[in-house]
Amino acid sequence: MILHVKHIPAKQTALAASVASTLVTAAGDGQVQPRLLENLNVHLDWVQYKTNFREAISLRRAVRGEEVLPWIEVGVDLRQVQQESLKTEFVSALNDVADSAQASKKRVYLEPFTPIRSGVIWRFNELFWKHLPLWETASGHGFETALPGGTSDANHPEAIADAVADFWTLLKDLEGHNLLPPEIFALEIGVGTGQRAAAWLNRFRALDRERGTQYYPRIRFLLADYSMATLNRAMEAVSEHRELASFLAVDALDPFKSLSFLRYKVLSIHLTNVYDNLPTDEIVVRDGKLYFVETRAFVNAAHAARICESVGIAPAEFVRTANRLLEVGPQHVLQSNVEQGVKFWRSVWDAIHLEERFVAIQSSLDAPLPPGVKPALLENLIGEGVQNQRFHISSGALESFLNTVPLLHPRGYLQVQDIFVTKFEDYSKMFRGPGKMDGSIVNWVNGALLAEVGAQAGYDVHFAPFHYREGSRTSTLYTTHRE
Amino acid sequence: MSLPTLPTTVVGSYSMPGWLERLKTEYFARRISRQELDEIHDAAVKAAIKDQEVCGLDIITDGELRRDNMIDYFAERLPGVQTDHTSKKFYYDFFDSVVRGKLPMASLRLADDFRFLSSFTERGTKFCVTGPHTLVKRIKDEHYKNEEAFAMDLARVMNMELKELTRAGARHIQIDEPYYSGFPEDLQWGVRVLNTLVEGVDAKIALHVCYGNRYGKPSWAGNYRYLFPAILDANIQQLTLEFARRGGEDLELFKENPNKLELGVGVIDVKTHEVETPEIVAERLRKALKFVPPERVFVLPDCGLLHLPREVAFAKLRTMVLGTKIVRKELGG
Repeated sequence: MILHVKHIPAKQTALAASVASTLVTAAGDGQVQPRLLENLNVHLDWVQYKTNFREAISLRRAVRGEEVLPWIEVGVDLRQVQQESLKTEFVSALNDVADSAQASKKRVYLEPFTPIRSGVIWRFNELFWKHLPLWETASGHGFETALPGGTSDANHPEAIADAVADFWTLLKDLEGHNLLPPEIFALEIGVGTGQRAAAWLNRFRALDRERGTQYYPRIRFLLADYSMATLNRAMEAVSEHRELASFLAVDALDPFKSLSFLRYKVLSIHLTNVYDNLPTDEIVVRDGKLYFVETRAFVNAAHAARICESVGIAPAEFVRTANRLLEVGPQHVLQSNVEQGVKFWRSVWDAIHLEERFVAIQSSLDAPLPPGVKPALLENLIGEGVQNQRFHISSGALESFLNTVPLLHPRGYLQVQDIFVTKFEDYSKMFRGPGKMDGSIVNWVNGALLAEVGAQAGYDVHFAPFHYREGSRTSTLYTTHRE
Repeated sequence: MSLPTLPTTVVGSYSMPGWLERLKTEYFARRISRQELDEIHDAAVKAAIKDQEVCGLDIITDGELRRDNMIDYFAERLPGVQTDHTSKKFYYDFFDSVVRGKLPMASLRLADDFRFLSSFTERGTKFCVTGPHTLVKRIKDEHYKNEEAFAMDLARVMNMELKELTRAGARHIQIDEPYYSGFPEDLQWGVRVLNTLVEGVDAKIALHVCYGNRYGKPSWAGNYRYLFPAILDANIQQLTLEFARRGGEDLELFKENPNKLELGVGVIDVKTHEVETPEIVAERLRKALKFVPPERVFVLPDCGLLHLPREVAFAKLRTMVLGTKIVRKELGG
């Protein structure tokens, strides 16, 4: 058995030592078959998100085609682990290796193994944004209160004032060269409550008046989101600027599809907390070999039974009802009433875990990269010396980026405020998701890969830490044109 | 060689295959030798020639597949320009190049690449050269301290090279000056430099001006109004401009500024993978013919095809030829 301990918070080192000791003892006192121990790697993590898709002890197997490979990985979440039951759970998880059929009976699966980005959790994520008001009514708070700090960094007044000042400077410069277009397009994708757009427009109007330029009436501010509920809310927030604002249903994965008429015309594009909420895949490097992560969502059988009982359906109906929820929404999933439907939705979401398996791939050339991303980029990123690493491909973020930049005016720029892993090696420092944020999903974004992809698309990608709020983990990606 | 009405050609580059990009980068990582890379280039150029012939182009190029980009191919060869060969990670990046003294007169050996092209095709050929104005924007100057003076010396060195190209048989030379669009205020001296570059060169000289195609996206916005009337003082026979992506509005400039120049009409948008139909190409051509007579019109894509996948570039060229045939027929050809 090899024990891997990731960087963990200083306060948790004693816990980590104790857990390690328990595991080593369990391995040494004969409760685990020696054959298993020979191939066993145990990874100790402090999982950042209080709610996530992992269990305290998770077993992961690797496959090559139909063949199950001998090595075994066990993940231990130090945040969730219970010292008193740790040893039993650890031994039990390893016994499941020998009897996977028996292990399966403890779980109700919502899907077969599938690439992460195609998993059912993303349909739940979509459901959240589609039926946001229902979720918020049930939870008693707005979705932004689930964010660290209780509000979106996007709305920070100083950050907005600086962004507006930069934009005004760009316009002034273009005007100086007689290159300012008659219509000045600015686009925000993923508009949240609409507060940022409103604050941006207020500030821009004030600055324009203060400096005596006539840019404000030429602004065409586009608010884009795939959730109509969110757009409706944003519409109210920017009501003062209605004559300049347009509201568009846009898929963040492919803004170009809806906005191709604005090719090379938009001077400023902004996104906050969008990339971390887009589907992603993960790659694992173990002993220098590459694996692609597949998952299947499940709910513990006992937990599923409790949920069924609470909403008055038979346990056998659990999976069918969950699928129906995703198809028709919480209002119609149960005949009883909407509240029960929302209760079912929230309970299932809360109970969902992901079982993982690693699928061997020959090289990074076989990694499922989004269209337009050259496999060589991944090869460059991983390098030759990496033996053990697990990281996101951030498929959705890459796809979104590549389908957004064609909208940029030759002097325009893209700004994305989000949680980025800006150095590849930082993936080994802590767990980077997926986590649950209210009813949605959150993942750190592979900024290092995004920078490589940006360079190949003709943009230098830079990251600046968000310094306006102490303790903020977000940073701002901004693009400059690559010469 | 006689050409049909509305001769078809490319602006210069053909699709750069992904495998060639990787191999070029491998060369910079010192994993393949110069000799191996040269052999790879030869094979790639032959394939590009064949593709252009199969598409039915009347005038073809070597696809510029030997070039890393429009600057370094020249910067590396220009006598007196020092290039830092460790300065790029990806082949398409620019070298850090610098000139620290007066440029000596010496050959750039471009004629070898032209001879290779002409030995593998019976069609008309064209050789494309990045102009001095564009080169001075990318090569750091630590000697002249004046862009025009630097560009003028580049023009003198390159003039000798253009004459060498004509001695090797080049009859159609295209000068690429996309940076005019980024620095329209330079145009007056840009034209003086251009005239020095082409002085005494016995070939048809075309000038290509676009809005940039670096990484397959435009570098600047605006319109071609800035070119007139200054560009009419240039000793060139042809102006090739992009009209497909930007629309044909600027064609009016040829009515407003009567001239005898041939017009290379960009009828293929090289910044999208969507392949035009022959009817769209024909329509774009018909629009141009309202302003310039057919005997002075050449048909091209907006700019180089290097950023397009091979199958897209191929399909676009075929479409361009088919669309041109429609209009030729309408003209009674």
